[in-house]
Amino acid sequence: MAAGVAAWLPFARAAAIGWMPVASAPMPPPPRDKRRGQDGLIILNVSGTRFQTWRNTLERYPDTLLGSTERDFFFHEETNEYFFDRDPDIFRHILNFYRTGKLHYPRHECISAYDEELAFFGIIPEIIGDCCYEEYKDRRRENVERIQDDEENDNNKDMVLPDMSFRETMWRAFENPHTSTMALVFYYVTGFFIAVSVMANVVETVPCGSGPNRAKEVSCGERYVLAFFCLDTACVMIFTVEYLLRLIAAPSRYKFVKSVMSIIDVVAIMPYYIGLVMTDNEDVSGAFVTLRVFRVFRIFKFSRHSAGLRILGYTLKSCASELGFLLFSLTMAIIIFATVMFYAEKGSSASKFTSIPAAFWYTIVTMTTLGYGDMVPKTIIGKVVGSVCSLSGVLVIALPVPVIVSNFSRIYHQSQRAEKRRAQKKTRLARIHAAKSGGANAYLQYKRNGMLASKQTGQALVCKSNPTFETQHHHLLHCLEKTTNHEFVDEQTYETSCMEVSLAKPSMSRSSSLSSSPHGLSSCCTRRNKRKSFNVPNSYMADGRRSSIQELSTIQIRERPMSNSRSCLNAKFEETVHLNSEEQSYITAAVISMPTPPVTTPEGGDSASSPNFLQSNIVRVSAL
Amino acid sequence: MGAVVGTLTMQTSQRQPSRDKIDDELEMTMVCHRPEGLEQLEAKTNFTKQELQVLYRGFKNECPSGVVNEETFKHIYAQFFPHGDPSTYAHYLFNAFDTRNNGSIKFEDFVMGLSTLLRGTVRDKLEWTFHLYDINKDGFINKEEMTEIVRAIYDMMGKYTYPALKGDVPKQHVDAFFEKMDKNKDGVVTLEEFVLACQEDENMMRSMQLFENVM
Repeated sequence: MAAGVAAWLPFARAAAIGWMPVASAPMPPPPRDKRRGQDGLIILNVSGTRFQTWRNTLERYPDTLLGSTERDFFFHEETNEYFFDRDPDIFRHILNFYRTGKLHYPRHECISAYDEELAFFGIIPEIIGDCCYEEYKDRRRENVERIQDDEENDNNKDMVLPDMSFRETMWRAFENPHTSTMALVFYYVTGFFIAVSVMANVVETVPCGSGPNRAKEVSCGERYVLAFFCLDTACVMIFTVEYLLRLIAAPSRYKFVKSVMSIIDVVAIMPYYIGLVMTDNEDVSGAFVTLRVFRVFRIFKFSRHSAGLRILGYTLKSCASELGFLLFSLTMAIIIFATVMFYAEKGSSASKFTSIPAAFWYTIVTMTTLGYGDMVPKTIIGKVVGSVCSLSGVLVIALPVPVIVSNFSRIYHQSQRAEKRRAQKKTRLARIHAAKSGGANAYLQYKRNGMLASKQTGQALVCKSNPTFETQHHHLLHCLEKTTNHEFVDEQTYETSCMEVSLAKPSMSRSSSLSSSPHGLSSCCTRRNKRKSFNVPNSYMADGRRSSIQELSTIQIRERPMSNSRSCLNAKFEETVHLNSEEQSYITAAVISMPTPPVTTPEGGDSASSPNFLQSNIVRVSAL
Repeated sequence: MGAVVGTLTMQTSQRQPSRDKIDDELEMTMVCHRPEGLEQLEAKTNFTKQELQVLYRGFKNECPSGVVNEETFKHIYAQFFPHGDPSTYAHYLFNAFDTRNNGSIKFEDFVMGLSTLLRGTVRDKLEWTFHLYDINKDGFINKEEMTEIVRAIYDMMGKYTYPALKGDVPKQHVDAFFEKMDKNKDGVVTLEEFVLACQEDENMMRSMQLFENVM
């Protein structure tokens, strides 16, 4: 803390003279200054912008980059300055921190960029001054949420573990209908039945024309009792089954039972069962009729199908305090005006304002500017009070409503942004992967040209007009190939080799090497095919070839194949190259990895299928 | 409804005067003071030009208006002693620096004081310390003043000390002080007594040299 006022330290030490006469013990010896030299100017060149400051200013904070000897790593001898290849705009704030002791956060800067700069210069963000701290924390939280959102979607959509139990798959299907066709079908079926059930409830009260034996009009419900009963039964059956399935599949049953949606489900189906139980009992049939009202709650089941409805519910929940205030202020105003109205109209004859509660109705109708006209004041005072009532009603209601509306708008826009991000993510990822695969493809291209050239002329690889960076990168990949005795190939080749492997030997035994690293392979291949469970390694390849390839980014380096297979490998190498040269129009590049079953190789060594199988010993990285 | 609105408006009208007061205060602090030239200050004090530059830069950083008032002075001093409460001692220091007794320290006062403390003769330093202790500036230090000073020093230590502070420790210090300083035992210490006694005390003389190379 004292570093901010470091310049006043000499004063503080001088003022200690006041302690001397009081002290009973002698003072400790003073520290010896290491650098008694002049306080010099330091030039900090940040991407061309020169900043200058006193050396002492920087050394106030010795645990940061600029204050410690770490800055010597950035010293540029020729120009006698410290050069940093960083953002000069953000550096300004960092240098101000040294000068004033307070770190500020500029609102227009991106939070990630700012955090990176702080991390680089060794400054912890917790020391941001109060003036900017709130803003910084808010932005940081938004950023974290955004990243979490992305990750969640990633996990939800893509990651499927093969060992997910049936219960877990079911729960996922319920929560996210887009995971499988079954779930989608279920989703639409329940939606349809909710609609049917609500429509039936509505239609059964419509008058349907007089029945054959009766004089008066009856409602459709009473006319076609059986039909409606069957319809109701069917719907409730579906709802019950759905509820039970959700209950079984829920990861935490207690939490599920407590949740709002499950309560709505129960309330929707309960009236039917209660009705079944207590038919033909005249006393309680009145109550039973009331229960049928609860059937209308089935319409709330639609909130699983509509995001907008969920947002509305969430908004109301989050605005509970504003709604409460609205209710409270309205109640206060109603009571006040009703009382005044009652006493004002007490005198007039045949007044409808028989009591204060009776006047409540008038007040509510007036304050909400409905004005039914069933209750009207007759006295002059009554009319004055009535007009004040209607004016203030507008005010009282208009005040909390914008708060609720803005809340709704904020939450709605947030969810819109999330949706947009998710939609754009696919294109974003596609762009990233195109870039990635472009790089990988470049290497294959280079290899083809280089390899072919070396094969034909037997000379060292000649690089064409590639920039230095690319050349070195390609050389590096080449070294990796040589190290592992595996090769980079693309997807097509991999698939063809897979096909050959699966056709060749269906009875390939499981390998020990596979068992030693099941997870790597399972995550490699399982991503591509979610539905089947895999026992045989080769069937991975077979199925994987058929199903759609999704994103993989693992390089798996298998153990070297045995020596007797190396010759086969070299033979395969030629085939690979030929394959590559034929199929030139690949957009994606793939590097394949497969297990090598050392046990079976000798057996399969003499059969024609072994080169095909060993063809599969290629390292694969697929980037879609 | 109207009554409610009426009460609301009444409250705002009450707030108006206080807001004006704050605006006035802001205006006052905008007053700036500039010190005399570097050469004059160099002549008056025992500091070199570079030292004055360093001192002024630090001074101006904390007090852009060019004067230190007591609040700022206490705030700065408190940064050095985060454990305890140095505000009382800072108050006495402020009075010692504020030779003109007008409630604010200009850079010249600051530098003159520092010059005495760091570069002055032993006698100058002792005189300055005497003036620090003499709270009411009557030329004598009595027991009450000394107790005040000692208590202020102990306040800077704060609560968490080892061994724990007991109530009569300041008193012991004061008694020891008077034992040493008050030659004629008249209950007060004069400047001459103070200077003589200090010059006789070896520890103190050695301590005085401690802060010579502070700059």
